Parts: sequence; C-alpha cells; structure tokens
Amino acid sequence: MKPIEPGDWRRTSPLAILFFFGKLIRDIVKHGWQGLAPLAALLFAYKGNLVEKAVFVGIGFLVVTSLIAVVNYWFFRFKLTDDSIQIRQGVLKRKHLDIKFDRVQGINTAQNIVFRAIGLVTVKFDTAGSSGDEGNLPAVPSSFAESLRERIGRPVERASAMPAGEVKLDPLLRLGWRDMIYIGLADRRIYVVLALLAPVIDQIGETGAEFIDNYLWTVAEGVKSVGVGTLALATIAFVAGVVVLFTLLSIGAAFLRYHNFALFLEGNTLRSVGGLLTRHEHSMDLGKIQTLRLTQGLVERGLKFYKLVARQARSGQKNSTSKNFVIPRVGADQAEHLRELLLAPEGNELTQIPASGRFEAISPYSMRTPILASVLPPVAIATVLIAMTGSAAPLLILLPILIPMSLIYLSWRHAGYHYGDHGFVRRSGVMGFRSVALLYRKVQRVTVTQSRYQRKKQLATLRVYMASGSVKIPYIEHTLANRLRDYILYKVESSQQAWH
Amino acid sequence: MFQNPEVAIDDLPGAVDLDWQSLHPRFVRRLQVEHGLIALAPLIGATVLSVLVPFPMVVTTLLWVLVVSFAVAFFAWPGISVPRQGYAVRDKDIVFRKGVAWRSVTAIPYNRIQHVETSDTALDRKFGVASLKLFTAGGSGGDLKIHGISAEAAEQLRVYVLNRIGASV
Repeated sequence: MKPIEPGDWRRTSPLAILFFFGKLIRDIVKHGWQGLAPLAALLFAYKGNLVEKAVFVGIGFLVVTSLIAVVNYWFFRFKLTDDSIQIRQGVLKRKHLDIKFDRVQGINTAQNIVFRAIGLVTVKFDTAGSSGDEGNLPAVPSSFAESLRERIGRPVERASAMPAGEVKLDPLLRLGWRDMIYIGLADRRIYVVLALLAPVIDQIGETGAEFIDNYLWTVAEGVKSVGVGTLALATIAFVAGVVVLFTLLSIGAAFLRYHNFALFLEGNTLRSVGGLLTRHEHSMDLGKIQTLRLTQGLVERGLKFYKLVARQARSGQKNSTSKNFVIPRVGADQAEHLRELLLAPEGNELTQIPASGRFEAISPYSMRTPILASVLPPVAIATVLIAMTGSAAPLLILLPILIPMSLIYLSWRHAGYHYGDHGFVRRSGVMGFRSVALLYRKVQRVTVTQSRYQRKKQLATLRVYMASGSVKIPYIEHTLANRLRDYILYKVESSQQAWH
Repeated sequence: MFQNPEVAIDDLPGAVDLDWQSLHPRFVRRLQVEHGLIALAPLIGATVLSVLVPFPMVVTTLLWVLVVSFAVAFFAWPGISVPRQGYAVRDKDIVFRKGVAWRSVTAIPYNRIQHVETSDTALDRKFGVASLKLFTAGGSGGDLKIHGISAEAAEQLRVYVLNRIGASV
C-alpha cells in the first residue's frame, strides 16, 4: 500500500478480520450478552452430554462470529480524496463516512500483538462531531498512519518544531513496571467491585469456612478446639484472598493499558504510547485542551501521586471518555511542569497542587444545606419515636448522622479556588482531591446563580461552561462572582487565540 | 504599535444593572394554558378515584386539598416565574436571567455561539411567541434557550446573532 495518495476504493489488509472479530466480541459482551441467554437455555434444555453440547455451541458461535467478521471486512472499503478520507461499511445497513481532514482533532492508533509483529495499526479518527467508534480504519501499515498524521497536522508548525527526518524525542514522562503497581493499587474500580461483592463474599466466606471446618473435623478427629477459631480464620483468609485477587487483577489491567507508557510533546501535539498486548497511541493538540484535571484519590494520597487528565471538546451525544487524554501517574513536580507545558503560555501563573497555600476557601455557609438535608430527617424520626415510645433509646439513631456530617465538613475543607489573570483552578473532593484548571479565553459561557439563602448571605455560585463540560465555584462572594464573570467575558472577547 | 494597557477590573462593563427586556406579555397566558391542561390530569384522576373508591371523609378531603393546591400552584407559577425572566442584548454578548428562588444570570458571548435556532409550537403560534436557542460547543449543557419572546423578536435576534457570528470569524 502506497502512502497517502488520493485514489480508488480499497480494502485494508485481510488481518483486519481480527479487528472486526474483536470488535464483534466486544459489542456482544457490552450490549448483546442478554441475547446469549437463550443460547445458554438451549444448552440446558435438551438432553445429552453437557460438555459435548457446550463444545458444539461454542464452535457454532465461533464459526458464526468469524463469518460475520469476514463479511464485515469484505464490505469495508476506504478511499482517500484530497481533503478527506471516505469509509464505506456495513452489510445490511450501509454506512458512508466522510471524514474531512480539517475536522480531525487527532489520530489515535491501537496495535494488538499480531498487528505489532507485522507492523499494522488500527487508526482511530478523533473528530469533533462523532461520538467514537465509527471512524476506525483497521489494519493499515503504521507508515500509512504516520502519513495521515502528517496530512492532518498543520505543516507549518510541524516544520518549525521538527526538522526534516526522524528525530528521536526525549519523552516528558516514562512509566515503568513499578508505576503500574501503583496505578493498579489506586484503581478505584476494585473498591466498587469489592463493595458490590461484599454480601456475596460474606455468603461464600461462610459456606467456604463451613466446608473447611467440616473437612478439618473429619481429618483431625479428636481435636475439639477447631470450631469458631477456624471459621473466623477461614473467612478472613478468604476475604484477604479476594482482595489480593482483585488487586492483582487491577495491577494486571494497569499493565495491559499503560505498560511502557511514554509521553511526548512534538511541536504542539501531545502524544502518548503504552500498553502490553495492544499498544495504544493517543495524540492531542495542545490547543484543543479545554480543562486540565488533576485527581488524587485516597490511595493516591497515601502513595503521593496524582492522575492528570486533559479533556477536550466533547460531542453532544454522550459523555464519551475516549476523548480524554490520560496520564495515569505523575508526581507533584511533574504535574506542575506538565500544566505549564499543556496550558502554555498562560498556565504558569496557576497551580493545581491541592496543598498549595494559594487556594482560597469557599464560604462555610456551603455546608448549611447538606447538613440540614442529612440531619433533619433522622431528627424528625427520632422525635416521633421518642414521643411514641417515651424512651430515650431512639436517640441512638442520631449517631450515624456523624458520618455525613464529617463528610460534609471534609468536602468543605477540600473545596477551594484560586484565580489569576488568565485562568482559574477549582479544588474539590471529599476523601481525595480534584483540581481543575482552565483558561478564561476558552470559556463558552458564564452563569452566576444565587439561591434565596445565598442572596441573604451575599454569596453566589459561578459556573463556567467549557466545550468539555462545566466547572463551578460555589459559595463565593456575589461581588467576586460578578467581577470574575465580567473579567472572563472581557478575556473571551479580547483574546486573539482560538478556543479550540 | 503594540499596546498592552492594564485593565481596571472595576471599570469592566458589569452585567448587573442592565436594561432587561422582559418576555412577551402573552407568554404567561400561553404557559398557563399548557399548565392548566397538565393540571387537569390529577384533578380528573382525583375525581375518578373519589367516585370509585369509598374513602373515609378525611382521606378524600386530604386528597382534594393536595390535588387542588398543587393544581392552583402549578397554574399560577408562570405568573410568578415569567416576570423574573429577561434578556439583554449587548454589543458583545447576550445576557439571560431567570429564577425565583434560584436566580441565575447567564452571559453568552457571540463569538462562542455555534449556531442559532428559532422554534415555535402550535400553542406558541397561537399566542405569537417563539423560542430562540443559542448553541455553544460542548453538548447539551452549553445551550441557552430563551422561550417566550415574540416571533418577530426571535427572528430579528436570529438574524442579528447570525450576522455577529459571521462578523467575528
């Protein structure tokens, strides 16, 4: 395949079948797994050897999906024109995609292990309007992806930033295997899974312990003291085992996604590579960055690192996260350095480090509404109960109020903001921290809101809408909110630079 | 010559004491027609329920008090909320305010508007009102809808904003 030349309709490499197969399986897992239920029912409904049937159905499933993948590949064609790439796909529902080069925000690639051996990549076009999956070009040579990149990148800027010929760039950041362990440990999803599994674990823990208990009883006859102690021990061991398993899983996931992660800045394009089996390459134009969000969960706080996410304009259809540029592990200094680079040239007046003394607190009145909402119902219930029973025992149900109270207090403590001439940073969080930095000149619109209570206290909430979503600073002085609003509008109007 | 004068923040044009344009005078009536129709549903439901089911007197009274007060409040609401809404067209942006308990003032600069849309329903046309929607980048959260201005004003604004968008590019 020649590099980028306008030409006729053509197919990609037959290895694209692999891509279509993978995509099909992913789609089934994501959306269509309910459809597999009848299949499973079929498996059990008819008489016969279960294993035999399972093998039979499994082979049938594989054959059908492979056939679909092959057909998908056969009907997938693309064509280059002078200013766009056109894609035709679909068997029953024909789809014609016309991706204009000047609409493409970035070109991302993914390379699974087979593609890597042969030097093929799957190109994902990141366009302002589309919501994700359709702009995929599977199994094209990586040189082709490279020439596409050059085609959409602004040649003038490239020329000044990169001299002719291949230049090896020093990465801004590299993550090794130790970092993967940190990232895995801090993965929030394992706690969600654990929380969901807690009742199940309880159940399994009990039955498992019972089983072991009985087993021990029969083995060690005559030993009378195994009862309760073993039970507790076995339960603890089981829960610990599950925790270790999930931790290992999320560390594994971190390796899969970010192994050998490296971050480059080429001219005005930020680019990251990483991944164990499938290598993901993600690029984003610095100018496209709308907000920069530095987050630190509880575990990250303990391990003293942050996660940095650059968000760009998102499409209207859904809150797709695929357009976020994620840097999974940065230290405080690195985060500050990256912010200066990514929000250049104005970003250096800001700071995103939560501990910075530059943050100002929001008004403590912000705690009033949530406190009332969490305190009044239990108090009302307790009052009614006391009146009905005449005993003071219902006062006990007031104890749990302490939990939301302390959370509300923490989230007030962690809330803060600071602003400069070109942008502001908003800090929030309950257990951890999140600080979002933005530049005024990229703002889309501004709203100042006051509730009845806020009016009484001369307070207001400033909400700033970016193309990537909105950021609000709640409970600041009304005059300050108005002044910031007017200043932001002035900046929007007087800025000579594009917001996108 | 390049100039970079310092900006006196306090001298920046504020959006507080503006000459707010109120919405179309018949917009309250138009909303009340809609709200009245909607409020009819629970009233009919309560009537049917109290005819069919022999509730004790207390329950029936309570039900009616609840339903009627809801219907009245819902019907009267536009009369309270619409006068609080208003917009101001400035040289660089459009400002829109609304809210009775939660009052908000939104400013949307022309050079961030992606496209403009005017629309009206059959009921809107009956009362001669229309709505103007201003779209900015960033999905549904970035849109501003001004409902209840006269159809002519909506059309004028649409043309004006379109010209401004064209001019600022």
